[in-house]
Amino acid sequence: MTPETTTVNNSQTTKKANPIKAFFKRLFTPKERIGADAGEKNNWKAWLYLAPSLILLAVFTFYPLINTIVIAFLKNYDYTSQVSEGFTMDNFGVVLGLVGKTGGSDIVYKWQCIYNSVTKTWSYVSGAGSVQVYFQTDVINYALPNTLIITFVTVPVSIIVSLLISIGLNSIKAFKKLFQTIFFVPYVTNAIAVGMVFAVLFDYQGIINFIFNLGAAPWVDQAAPTWKAMIALCIYIVWHSLPFKILIFLSGLQNIDKQYYDAAKIDCAGKWKTMMNVTVPLLSPQILYIMITSFIASFKEYTSVVGLIGMPSTDGGGTKNMYTVVYYIYDQIKGNVGYGAAAAVLLFIIIMIFTAVQFQVSKKRVYY
Amino acid sequence: MENGNKTQTTDTRNFLQRLFRMKTAQEKQADRENVPSYKSINTSGMTLVIKEGRANVQQLETIQKVGHIVGTILVYAFLVFMALIVLFPFYWMVITSLKSTTEIRSLHQTFFPTNVLWSNYITVFNSFDFTTYVGNTLVVGIISTLGTLVTTIFAAFAFARLNFRGKDAIFAILLATMMIPGEMMVITNYITVSRLPWYEFGIGKVDGWLTYKDSVFASMIIPFWVSVFYIYLLRQNFKQIPNELYLAAKVDGKSDWQYLWKVMVPLAAPTLISIFILKLMGAWNSYVWPQLVTTNNESWRLVTNALRGSFTTTSGEPQYGIQMAATILVTVPLLLLFIFFRKYIMRGVGRAGIKG
Amino acid sequence: MEIRLKNLTKVFPGNPKKGIPDTIAVNKMDITVPDGKLMGLLGPSGCGKSTTLYMIAGLLEPTDGEIWFGDEDVTELEPEKRGIGLVFQNYALYPHMTVYKNVAFPLTNLFLEERATTPDEAKRALIKRDYAVKFAKAKEELKALEQAGNKAGCEEKKAEIIALKGQQELDIKDAVIPQNDSQGNPVMKRRHLTKDEIDKIVRETARIVQIEPFLERKPNQLSGGQQQRVAIARALVKKPKVLLLDEPLSNLDARLRLQTREEIRRIQQSTGITTVFVTHDQEEAMSISDEIVVMKLGLEQQRGVPQEVYNNPVNEFVANFLGTPPVNLFKGQIKGNKIYIGDEMVREITEKNVPDQECSVGIRPEGIVIDEKGSFSFHVDRILTMGRDIMLVANHPFAKSNTKFVVDSFVKVSVGDVKASVKPHKCFAFSLNEGKTRII
Repeated sequence: MTPETTTVNNSQTTKKANPIKAFFKRLFTPKERIGADAGEKNNWKAWLYLAPSLILLAVFTFYPLINTIVIAFLKNYDYTSQVSEGFTMDNFGVVLGLVGKTGGSDIVYKWQCIYNSVTKTWSYVSGAGSVQVYFQTDVINYALPNTLIITFVTVPVSIIVSLLISIGLNSIKAFKKLFQTIFFVPYVTNAIAVGMVFAVLFDYQGIINFIFNLGAAPWVDQAAPTWKAMIALCIYIVWHSLPFKILIFLSGLQNIDKQYYDAAKIDCAGKWKTMMNVTVPLLSPQILYIMITSFIASFKEYTSVVGLIGMPSTDGGGTKNMYTVVYYIYDQIKGNVGYGAAAAVLLFIIIMIFTAVQFQVSKKRVYY
Repeated sequence: MENGNKTQTTDTRNFLQRLFRMKTAQEKQADRENVPSYKSINTSGMTLVIKEGRANVQQLETIQKVGHIVGTILVYAFLVFMALIVLFPFYWMVITSLKSTTEIRSLHQTFFPTNVLWSNYITVFNSFDFTTYVGNTLVVGIISTLGTLVTTIFAAFAFARLNFRGKDAIFAILLATMMIPGEMMVITNYITVSRLPWYEFGIGKVDGWLTYKDSVFASMIIPFWVSVFYIYLLRQNFKQIPNELYLAAKVDGKSDWQYLWKVMVPLAAPTLISIFILKLMGAWNSYVWPQLVTTNNESWRLVTNALRGSFTTTSGEPQYGIQMAATILVTVPLLLLFIFFRKYIMRGVGRAGIKG
Repeated sequence: MEIRLKNLTKVFPGNPKKGIPDTIAVNKMDITVPDGKLMGLLGPSGCGKSTTLYMIAGLLEPTDGEIWFGDEDVTELEPEKRGIGLVFQNYALYPHMTVYKNVAFPLTNLFLEERATTPDEAKRALIKRDYAVKFAKAKEELKALEQAGNKAGCEEKKAEIIALKGQQELDIKDAVIPQNDSQGNPVMKRRHLTKDEIDKIVRETARIVQIEPFLERKPNQLSGGQQQRVAIARALVKKPKVLLLDEPLSNLDARLRLQTREEIRRIQQSTGITTVFVTHDQEEAMSISDEIVVMKLGLEQQRGVPQEVYNNPVNEFVANFLGTPPVNLFKGQIKGNKIYIGDEMVREITEKNVPDQECSVGIRPEGIVIDEKGSFSFHVDRILTMGRDIMLVANHPFAKSNTKFVVDSFVKVSVGDVKASVKPHKCFAFSLNEGKTRII
């Protein structure tokens, strides 16, 4: 039998591949999976399984995400009747204290106003005379700075403390399980409930003042100076965030190959040198993860303030000196939703920026 | 400092010397030995020693033993100190709940109540309407947990074992949503919930078989019937179950559904228990959303909402003893859960870190 | 630095509740490694050689026995203080550091000992005076050049002045008096190494092991052989008294193995460090060691110069372990001071009188000569030409396993029954007792 010559079908020479089409094709084509059904017939069943989750996510996650962004740009949005007065950027301005309202709720910009340092008021001069303008300063004066202070104090402190505790735990043999359990207890407790306990501890007639002999000085009660309340708040937040970090660091430490410690011993490295040059760098993926999640969590700090103080101020409700950004958002839900949405969007942007920065910085220093 | 300057001048000197083609006698000899001229270093003669220098072995061993003991003591001391700090608030919580108000308020604090007052607890039960709140919380908690389990099992199964177009893309999107702060969704969710047809916001009862109360509860449960974190957790666990079982089931003629419920779920039981307990704890501890949604009717609140701001005297002073007793009653169930299910809780939380 | 192991024993405790017995990993090892020699610990997997090595390093504590470095008992000493270099089987290079930092890491933990010195004020004053004169002269010349408007010359002069300053500083620094204590012994002081010193030592070591091109790479960017050399460099950089290698060649491919084997030998001889290395490859151990120790199940079987151990194995295990292809074993007996396999007498015993007994007879593959008048016969199944020699795959009724013989390539032999005579020194008789000790 003579072999037939087969002609190559030259008409099927490759055209220039369309990169966009290729991208989507790659995205949506199932990869080869060993053993799993790669057939088409699984498709519809899979969607059935996914349906409940996807529907719930669509309604309560994806749609809200877009909707909140939209609301942030709506003026005077009333959610019961769903009417608004049109699109505006002023919501952001109000939140940041740049846009104010006169008594008759007209919008005025800060650079159009004059500040009277005697009466400490702003006023707008128009054709009809001078009108007093009110600016929302809660966010700019209190919420944003408080949140930043909380973040930049509690995150480094809690990471360092939990790192030391984890390394200590990793190096002992006896009572290890006991210590692990003890250090994990704060995680299972209620943030509000334990916040109230801390309020008792820091009461002006409480045990902290007693131990350190500070007299009857209020820390978190009304009439407490802001800096004292912040200290108490930061201590509480650090205390509450230790267990999670310790758990993660400990599991990361246990994954480090013992041979590196042996090699460090042979290289005559002492305990401290080993820790700084071997342990911490090999732990850097976990440290990065904790840093990012801690930053994000501390930007969203709310329940700690409620638990510890109960209200956003320690001076009898005059100024909201213990405000945080998220506290503001929740307060605005019952007020002008637009402001809350704008603040939420701002929060989102800040978090994204910080996370991106951290990722950039980590590229050089994190070793996988 | 001096070293740095010296290096500079040495380099300059060498450079200049080479520039002028002048060589010191030393450099000539160094060239002969083919070693770069570095005036003060001759490595073949160098002795490197450890920190303790040339101490003999006896001394080293003593130092070593002492260092060992001191080091271990320090580590344990540090850990015990931190453990005490961690446990102190709980200790204080317990003894404050047993003290009288005058004792709490006195300038001289005691570390143990002089009279053990159980009356605080009785007051709590009488005035706090404890059972209602606990009941509310349990109802919300259990229903939301069961619902989450169902959605999570389905979704994790789909991602772990089934194949469909866009699988990776959708999973990536889901993971991305974990990074978004919840506050972005809260506002709209509140609006959604308040406008759902079967929920009339503060306007009285709705016709039909759903009461107002039911809708409030539903709004506390349904938005949280899905959690991407738990889907991720369970999917990891499902992936670890060997695929051969799936193929064997297929050969036996079992459908996916049967395989899921008869094989995978039992095998993944530890993770499911972790999810159940963590979700239940989350419901017990939830504050923000229920606070938002139940503002019109106090009696539908959850335990944590009711806790805050309760028990103050008419003058506004908080009655700490009673507050602490209530706090303990709220915290004890969690601690019990922890004692019995410690392994599941810690494993479930710990898995989060491996992803990093 | 001589290493002396005295009665070294390591027992890993079992779990009596679960019925796991104690494991004796190392059983009363008594070895001396002379200064500057390369000793190989040879044996199959699980024979305790790595355990011995780790005990010498200090990473494992011996259950019993002593380890001496020179004239000091270091058994209780921590590994950091022993001054050893260890090359791990998996290299254990720090993955987050570059090769340079990996090699420099030990140096950052060590100190340099120098003679303590005090400045010699008188000499310094003299130097300053001399240089002052030179400076004055140079400055005058500079002025003259400036006035003459000689720009280029000015620059040269200025550079000269700077060079003079540098020289002066150097000379001042070197004007020191070494300190002696009250008994006239030099006082030593310890300091950290400067960056330049570290740099120099690292580059020197890198030159020895030939990893200079890779100094800025990370370990995961290197091949196995390159990582191996970096590990060796890291061990050598602190100029240890003892170098230990744990199966250094087992992760390399065949060709690289031969190459690296030679390198290790070359480095060891040029630096003169006492070295102990562990391997299960007998060819490797025999080719580069000054002395080898054969181990089995924690017990030392035989120790000696490789050729000696090969020629005179002390028991069947050692005879079987060394040599490729392995020694051929037959069931035989000793009768009337002669060794018989079956009816054939293969060797006469002349050295001593040996009682008649059943025994195991071992004949090295190279231990036969094809001879029509020989007393030993076997059947050749296959002939494999290896170029250098010819391997005969044979069978014999009393053989315990496959029989292989090796003859020179010019010998004429074909498949079938063959008669040969046995070289007496390649024929061993092993008793059938538990240790399979060699009778003759």
